[in-house]
Amino acid sequence: MSRLGNTAAGLMLNEIRAGLWLTLRYFFKPKATLNYPYEKNPISPRFKGEHALRRYPNGEERCIACKLCEAVCPAQAITIEAEPRDDGSRRTTRYDIDMTKCIYCGLCEEACPVDAIVEGPNFEFATETREELMYDKEKLLANGDRWEPELAKRLELDAPYR
Amino acid sequence: MNSLETFLFTTDLGIVILTILKSLALIVPLLIGVAYLTLAERKVLGAIQLRKGPNVVGPFGLWQPFADAIKMLMKETIIPAGANRALFVLAPLLTFGLAVTAWAVIPVSNHWAIANINVGILYIFAISSLGVYGIIIAGWASNSKYAFLGAMRSAAQMVSYEVSMGFVIVTVIMCVGSQNLNDIVLAQRHIWFAIPLFPMFIIFFISGLAETNRAPFDLAEGDTEIVAGFFVEYSAMSFALFFLGEYANMILISATTTVLFLGGWLSPLPFIPFTWIPGVFWFVFKIFVCLFVFIWVRGTLPRYRYDQIMALGWKVFLPISLVWLVMTAGFLEIFGMLPHA
Amino acid sequence: MAKLTIDGIEVEVPNGSTVIQAAEAAGVEIPRFCYHERLSVAGNCRMCLVEIEKMPPKPVASCGMPVSEGMVVHTDSEMVRRGRRGVMEFLLINHPLDCPICDQGGECDLQDEAVGYGRDHSRYDENKRAVGNKDWGPIVKTVMTRCIHCTRCIRFSAEIAGVPELGAVYRGESMEVGTYVDKPLSSELSGNLIDLCPVGALTAKPYAFTARTWELRKTDSIDVLDALGANIRVDARGAEVLRILPRRNDEVNEEWLGDKSRFSVDGLKRRRLDKPWIRKSGKLQPASWEEAFAAIADRLKGMPGERIGAIAGDLCDAESMLALKDMMSALGSANIDCRQDGAALDASRREFYLFNTTIAGIEEADALLIIGANPRRESPVLNARIRKRWVAGGFPVALIGEHADLTYDFEHIGNGPAALQSLADGSHGFAEALKSAKNPMIIIGQGALARPDGAAMLAAAWALAVQFGMLNADWHGFNVLHTAASRVAALDLGFVPGAGGKDIAAMLGGGVDALWLLGADEFDTAKIGAETFVIYQGHHGDAGASRADVILPGAAYTEKPGTYTNMEGRVQQGFMAVSPPGDAREDWRILRAISAYIGHALPYDNFVELRARLAQVNPVFAAVEQVRRLAGTDASGPVAQGAPGDAALVSAVQNYYQTDPISRASPTMAACVAAHYTVVAEAAE
Repeated sequence: MSRLGNTAAGLMLNEIRAGLWLTLRYFFKPKATLNYPYEKNPISPRFKGEHALRRYPNGEERCIACKLCEAVCPAQAITIEAEPRDDGSRRTTRYDIDMTKCIYCGLCEEACPVDAIVEGPNFEFATETREELMYDKEKLLANGDRWEPELAKRLELDAPYR
Repeated sequence: MNSLETFLFTTDLGIVILTILKSLALIVPLLIGVAYLTLAERKVLGAIQLRKGPNVVGPFGLWQPFADAIKMLMKETIIPAGANRALFVLAPLLTFGLAVTAWAVIPVSNHWAIANINVGILYIFAISSLGVYGIIIAGWASNSKYAFLGAMRSAAQMVSYEVSMGFVIVTVIMCVGSQNLNDIVLAQRHIWFAIPLFPMFIIFFISGLAETNRAPFDLAEGDTEIVAGFFVEYSAMSFALFFLGEYANMILISATTTVLFLGGWLSPLPFIPFTWIPGVFWFVFKIFVCLFVFIWVRGTLPRYRYDQIMALGWKVFLPISLVWLVMTAGFLEIFGMLPHA
Repeated sequence: MAKLTIDGIEVEVPNGSTVIQAAEAAGVEIPRFCYHERLSVAGNCRMCLVEIEKMPPKPVASCGMPVSEGMVVHTDSEMVRRGRRGVMEFLLINHPLDCPICDQGGECDLQDEAVGYGRDHSRYDENKRAVGNKDWGPIVKTVMTRCIHCTRCIRFSAEIAGVPELGAVYRGESMEVGTYVDKPLSSELSGNLIDLCPVGALTAKPYAFTARTWELRKTDSIDVLDALGANIRVDARGAEVLRILPRRNDEVNEEWLGDKSRFSVDGLKRRRLDKPWIRKSGKLQPASWEEAFAAIADRLKGMPGERIGAIAGDLCDAESMLALKDMMSALGSANIDCRQDGAALDASRREFYLFNTTIAGIEEADALLIIGANPRRESPVLNARIRKRWVAGGFPVALIGEHADLTYDFEHIGNGPAALQSLADGSHGFAEALKSAKNPMIIIGQGALARPDGAAMLAAAWALAVQFGMLNADWHGFNVLHTAASRVAALDLGFVPGAGGKDIAAMLGGGVDALWLLGADEFDTAKIGAETFVIYQGHHGDAGASRADVILPGAAYTEKPGTYTNMEGRVQQGFMAVSPPGDAREDWRILRAISAYIGHALPYDNFVELRARLAQVNPVFAAVEQVRRLAGTDASGPVAQGAPGDAALVSAVQNYYQTDPISRASPTMAACVAAHYTVVAEAAE
């Protein structure tokens, strides 16, 4: 009986009609599309975008070359070399992130004891060549200077949950 | 009649020129229709998926087809090293050419056809059957296993569904008593064949989906399995010709459906003010509805497995259409409704 | 022996041991900061607290608690854990939280123990203590705020290094470790303070901020910068050697390492020969291997064997010296020598050139006579061993030669060979000490051998050894203190002139037409004959390379696997830590390649075959890491040529920090020289 019923239902195209009805209803629903370059979704303070190296308000770079981010990076995208600066403080001579290797997990940010390396809100950093995605210290510090107001705000917003 | 009319309708040269003009009057709107069908497809699929679809190029994305066309024209046509060059180039031309050729007999309105021949329906059936050659040639000439697999699938599928399509058409011819498409439309003045022959209408439409390799029967392309099937090696304009051919075929099947089952150019409501509206409008409107269903089905159903397609064609559609053919014949005989009996 | 139970494990330890030693024997680890097994017990960090049953109910510091029969010790009870947590909290009150910028981070005892016993936050709101940093010279960097007052550094410099210049001033929280008057540490062993410091208060200045422990690739190797053969660990990142640390080997270097051996690493990347060079019209020009080989083959073609000579340098591995020797004999030359300094070392019997007592054997000796050596400069770790014996007491030491501060008391018999005579005829009081000693020993340095009357000195010293009964079946008190790491292996291989062969003096001054220098830089290259074709195979652009006509770039000791024999005849093998720079290659490969090029292909194609050949030439090379004290049963001495002269004896090493191409290329060593030897010069003025 049930087999007969199934066959009958199949011949009546019940399921296909149900499916068509569903898609027809969706056809008339309001659309979720954002006109991307002109409209953007709001992003979380924890959004993991382009990296930046921050500075202290007095202009001193935060990074102290502890290499914890390099050690924790699962993609081994970070390369750091360090030596004592003229004033004897521990600073990097090289801080490179290979953005083509980076998987944007945010562990570098988690590992950083001084909030120097952060992943900012910027996700629009596509380049025309691969080489441009090999970020060096200069580029990262420039990012930090450019995004600092937002970066500071994000850290402040996320601080209660850390 | 002035001299121009005399020239056009009586001299041989005039008839040739007139036919070319008539063809242009059909082909140009058809091509524009194809172009906008691609846009419509993307818009409708987008809407079904809660997206807006292309809306950046021009108002509501209306210049998108032209942008696509320019892109296609600017790209490099690549002919694979191992391909058979002549056949490789011939295949898309054949596919597109056949898709356009079939339109010669479609009556857009009463007696508005380029060639109002008395075996119109057979002509369409023959031309659309030839479509498989374009695909087989493309698959073979590409010298690629994916292309060949796609072509084999496509050929087997088209041949299978033509059988049941044939029975459906026989049923319709039986009811009309003529193979002239104009006559078939006029036979539906009182009731569209879609209503008395409803199961055959559905079978014809679904077979049409299969015949045009549309979802859910798009195994020939099968992007997830065989990359893009028979036209995996095609690029730029040769690819565009396949693309245009496929969409022209969609419109053709829609037009055939309209003519056979939906009363062609006839107004759906046979009273004023609807009868004031010219038949061409109704014809185009019905094609439009059919095309929407094509896209709607694509947005709804997942792709069939290959054995399921074959089972559906041979084990379901063929028996049902056969039985319905016999039943219709019996019904017409018993009630003496056979035309020209 | 006392029997006690530690965490349910029964152990038996000698009376007088402490609980922490017993725990070590039982395999139970007790955290500690101030306790160190080679230093005296201080008991001031309190981290090693344990609970002992039937004692007052309080935790006891296990490092200072002597064992007694039947003790039952718990090292992991709740009381112990609470006690250690308290100690840790107190330590962390003033310890800064600057692990991210601390070079000790990742290998820090305090960090490790804080994981087990530290709190996740501080209950201390007051300001932390801050202490100004001290300037302790070019080797040790101080960050005194991190100091936890374990006093290991103070005890090391006073007890092991024998330079009691560190101390603590003020008390309690104000306590500061320092030299009181800022001055560079004067010990050659000061680098060991860095290893001993359980926190980051003392770190390596040359290595500051360069790498983290987890980035380093660690390779076991053997030190070649003095003849002790200290066991080292080479830490490298990428193609660069970043630091060298001692490995523990109680038979050789215990766990110490001299500053030169530890901090010459920056010399490994400076002044390197990384491609072949050929001298064309008086100037050295870069060349390819093919060109260099062609230039050599061109000159050697048709040259009679007796006109070709070879000199092996001080840093060579046994394998490359063997390859060179084999190639020379294939060329028909017996002109080979390893004694660049012209030392009158007699290769006829092994005991004539070994440190026969063995290094660990020093602790069994009960009298010592040093002739023409300054062990502190020539081998500071060996000197620490002598001092260790001296501290134990009952160990009279006498010195013939240059007076110097050896970190222990000694009787200075005289400056010249005449003093030997005063001992031989018993006119000097120390003769009595030697006579009454059961295990007396003589150390004769290269300063006594590398002089015209060296052979006579050697014979005289041997005669003294025989006279005072230093040679018997289970004791051998005759010792040669070497300064070159390759020397003993070269003598074992017979890298000395063969029958009719010329020694180094004869080879110089035009004695040969072609001279192959295998890393030989420690002789006066100006003495090489002007017409002599010099091939220098080595790793640094030093004296030899600047005189060379063709330079073949070789590998330094960190860049090749190699076998080295230390002064006591211990065969040790080092591994390759990094690749040689540029076009440079392992030395034996170069010799194998050129031998094939000139038509005398050496009969080994890989390193395994070469090592087999090594063992075939002298079976001692098969006995890796084994050393057996030779029995002093044959009293017949080396052949004496003439009598000792009367020139004053001086040490072979006048500048500890720069003795070889590597240390001469090292900026750190240059800084050490500036810090130490200018001070001496000023004092002398």
